Amino acid sequence: MSAGDQELARDLGFLEAYTIGLGTMIGAGIFVLPSIAAKQAGPASMVSFFFGGMVSLLAALSLSELATGMPKAGGSYYYVNRALGPFFGSIVGWGMWAGLTFASAFYMIGFGQYFLSGLGPYIPFLAESEFGITVAALVMAAMLTGVNYYGVKETGSLQNVIVLSLVGLILAFLTLGALSGPTIGEFNPSGWPAVAATIGTVYVSFIGFEVIATSAEEIKNPSRNLPLAMIAAVVTPTLMYVGVMWVSTGTLSIGALDASNIPVADVAAEFLRGFASAIPFVSVSPGALSTAGSIAMIVGAVLATISSANASILSAARVNFAMGRDKILVEWLNEVHDRFRTPYRSITATGIITLVLIAVGAGIGTLAEVASFMYLVTYALVHVAVVVLRRAEPADYEPTFQIPSVLYPFVPILGALACLAVLFQMIVTFEPMVLLGEGVVGVEIALPFTISIVGIIGIGIIAAGIAWYYTYARDRAPSQSLVGDAIAPEPAAATGSDGRYRVVVPVANPETERDLLRMAAASAHAHEDDNAELIAVNVIEVPQQTSLSQDVAFEEERVERQQELLSAARDIAAELDIGLRTRAIVGRDTGSVILDVIEEEDADHVFLGWKGSRSTREHVLGSTIDPVVGRASCDATLVKLGPEETPGEGDVMVLAGEGPHAPVAARRAAEFVTTAGEDATLTLLNVQQPEDGDEDQSPEDRGEALIDDLAERAGIEYMQYDRQIVVAEDIEAAILEAADNYDTICVGATRSGPVTQAVFGSVPETVGEEVDRTVVMARGPEESTMSIREAIARRLSV
Amino acid sequence: MSDTLFSRVIVPVASIDDARATTRALASHVDSVAGTVVAVHVVEKAGGAPDKASVEQRERDTEEMFDIVRAQLEGYDVNLETEILYGTDVAETIVEAAHEMDASSIVFTPRGGSRWIRLLAGDVALSLISESDLPVVVLPDEPEVEDG
Repeated sequence: MSAGDQELARDLGFLEAYTIGLGTMIGAGIFVLPSIAAKQAGPASMVSFFFGGMVSLLAALSLSELATGMPKAGGSYYYVNRALGPFFGSIVGWGMWAGLTFASAFYMIGFGQYFLSGLGPYIPFLAESEFGITVAALVMAAMLTGVNYYGVKETGSLQNVIVLSLVGLILAFLTLGALSGPTIGEFNPSGWPAVAATIGTVYVSFIGFEVIATSAEEIKNPSRNLPLAMIAAVVTPTLMYVGVMWVSTGTLSIGALDASNIPVADVAAEFLRGFASAIPFVSVSPGALSTAGSIAMIVGAVLATISSANASILSAARVNFAMGRDKILVEWLNEVHDRFRTPYRSITATGIITLVLIAVGAGIGTLAEVASFMYLVTYALVHVAVVVLRRAEPADYEPTFQIPSVLYPFVPILGALACLAVLFQMIVTFEPMVLLGEGVVGVEIALPFTISIVGIIGIGIIAAGIAWYYTYARDRAPSQSLVGDAIAPEPAAATGSDGRYRVVVPVANPETERDLLRMAAASAHAHEDDNAELIAVNVIEVPQQTSLSQDVAFEEERVERQQELLSAARDIAAELDIGLRTRAIVGRDTGSVILDVIEEEDADHVFLGWKGSRSTREHVLGSTIDPVVGRASCDATLVKLGPEETPGEGDVMVLAGEGPHAPVAARRAAEFVTTAGEDATLTLLNVQQPEDGDEDQSPEDRGEALIDDLAERAGIEYMQYDRQIVVAEDIEAAILEAADNYDTICVGATRSGPVTQAVFGSVPETVGEEVDRTVVMARGPEESTMSIREAIARRLSV
Repeated sequence: MSDTLFSRVIVPVASIDDARATTRALASHVDSVAGTVVAVHVVEKAGGAPDKASVEQRERDTEEMFDIVRAQLEGYDVNLETEILYGTDVAETIVEAAHEMDASSIVFTPRGGSRWIRLLAGDVALSLISESDLPVVVLPDEPEVEDG
């Protein structure tokens, strides 16, 4: 059942992912920009579009790697925040939000132009005026906000129909336009600097492929479909844009294009005149044909601008959500509407900012350039994030798509430099800027260069992001930047605690309490030299809406049960001859309470019981277990109690695998056996595949070597233990079969770090779930990330 | 009759408020037969178009609903299971899941709402009643009892 559910949660195949990206990219860009681009750079603006596409292709490669490594909502913001910490996270989060709202405003004005200027001649009451265009843009933006607020259902088939019609329309435009024989005049009338500057203007057309990364968690088979969809969604419009510029500048003069509010429709109208005589059997007047072509392009433009703006508003909500999750933004903004199931506050906020941007009349070119600016900053940092993550190698980052090794450092380096180069020429023009006129103090103060309006707005938004970080986010969002680890990738040395060995044991079930405490005590006994003690914790969970004190007053029964549970724990500890303290806590969330206790007590080990079934998609092992095991800074052990009477005694078996935590599991097993005394035995089991590795060594020899190595790493060579080596094709099945011969099975985590897909790794979890014995899953301490300063210090000291 | 109807009920919850109201109306019925409640929430998928909110966000929201169901069923002799479902058609997804989970009936409380809102949000209740080939029990929304 749940397997089928997961399939449905991922409901985007290659075609859907591609059309979502393409639908956002064939927006206002292709319909509106030809006029602006032609004015700035003439026919050579097709070179600008081509380079814009190249910059995006590099970004698409880096983004694909990040998105398959961390398929989480929030796209680029999430990756940058994870890799570079909340300082850059704040910049990119606010930058993306700003970029998406400026882009939405740009799309909406493009919509207004086509709707009024385009249909005006045919529907007389739609008078073309600047004011009218602004009003049309405002009305449409408000409608889109409303549609997304109420969550009116869109379907994939509608999306596909719109995108495929647009592609067909543009292909027809290109084919007929090419057949009409466009004649390019002077290719580069404004010079190459203007061509470079135009890259910044048209880059807004390329921000759409980000939407694919934002939807990464919904894409089927992401390792294949995600990079393919991204690359295809960049390459297709790049070719189309270049073609459209060629046809447009070849059909109309630069002056005519510049003057047009509906350039693509005017171009179609122009070249279609020549085709009237070519139509067989029916006679069509040139005027009628050109009108039909023009109207087709207008309808296309209206659909395209709406679909782009819609995708931007939804993307903005996801960036907001991701920022709220990382505590960089107030969670209030992300509340899901009770009935419509939409993040209505975030959508409303995005809508209002978009309306304001349209209303202030910033100019369509400026809106486009600011959106481009914010995304170029974002992608520059995305490239840096790839390098940092590759070097820091956090345990939960296992991208299934990687930038091919021949391209590796070049793609992110070249990509980041390309973004910065475009940004630089957007900010600075080399004309002197007079700051203070000669008339005031007699001396003229001037800068040798001018900072553009777009540069000022863009830098202002970045500054706002930085100010936000220092005033709001810094105290709330813990720094988890991996830059330090990237500079000095060696693992940090484990630090010693204050001397007392403390084991935290959350207890909740009176039936299993005794066994759990006994096994935890076995582990504590092994550290008797360190004054070992147990800390039994029980948490009464109180829902968000009731106050903590109020709830406890009403829930005498639960409090009473808690007291019974903890007093039983004290009795058991006395029997076991181990020091025990109890803590009764009332809290919102058991998982985070336990993490707090571990922190406060400076615990060395947390020992949890588990019922033994994997839960649904949202949690791997359980809502309490996942966060504790995923984030606890100390050793963590999870025990599923088997049916036999004294778990942790009798025949104990350890899986001797190559996992990083196998020695920890072996240590746990040894502790149980030592405490149980004479009756207990210890076995190290290794499973080998028959044809694996080199030929010189038999599978048995390999297994022997591995077991010896493990015993040494675990420091249990002094003990008596048996070895068992199984040679089998199917490792998992062999493990499950062998496990039946023992009373207790110990398994080390196969992964380390706070992971999203599995807490201990798939093999340990399968053993935990399938084996009808006591199963112990163990992992060592979690390494916390290094700060940049620590990392540089470590580098220098080597 | 009611023995079999409430022995294993699948309970779609649509929101936090709905979770609260439905559980309140339901608890005593299932309690009296020591039955099982399978609380489900359907994360609605657009099936190829961008969703209105990210899956992760809606899954978190669902957990909050389940927490409320869990808290309200405490003290009753009721076995609770929870499951997040995904589908483009909410009613159809619930009916299919009910079959797979071997449910004895589908139980919900009506959520009211104007015609306009029903039109926009889709009327899942009506589709459930008309599409289900399993018993559907509509429980009246009991007003909240103020205690103390």
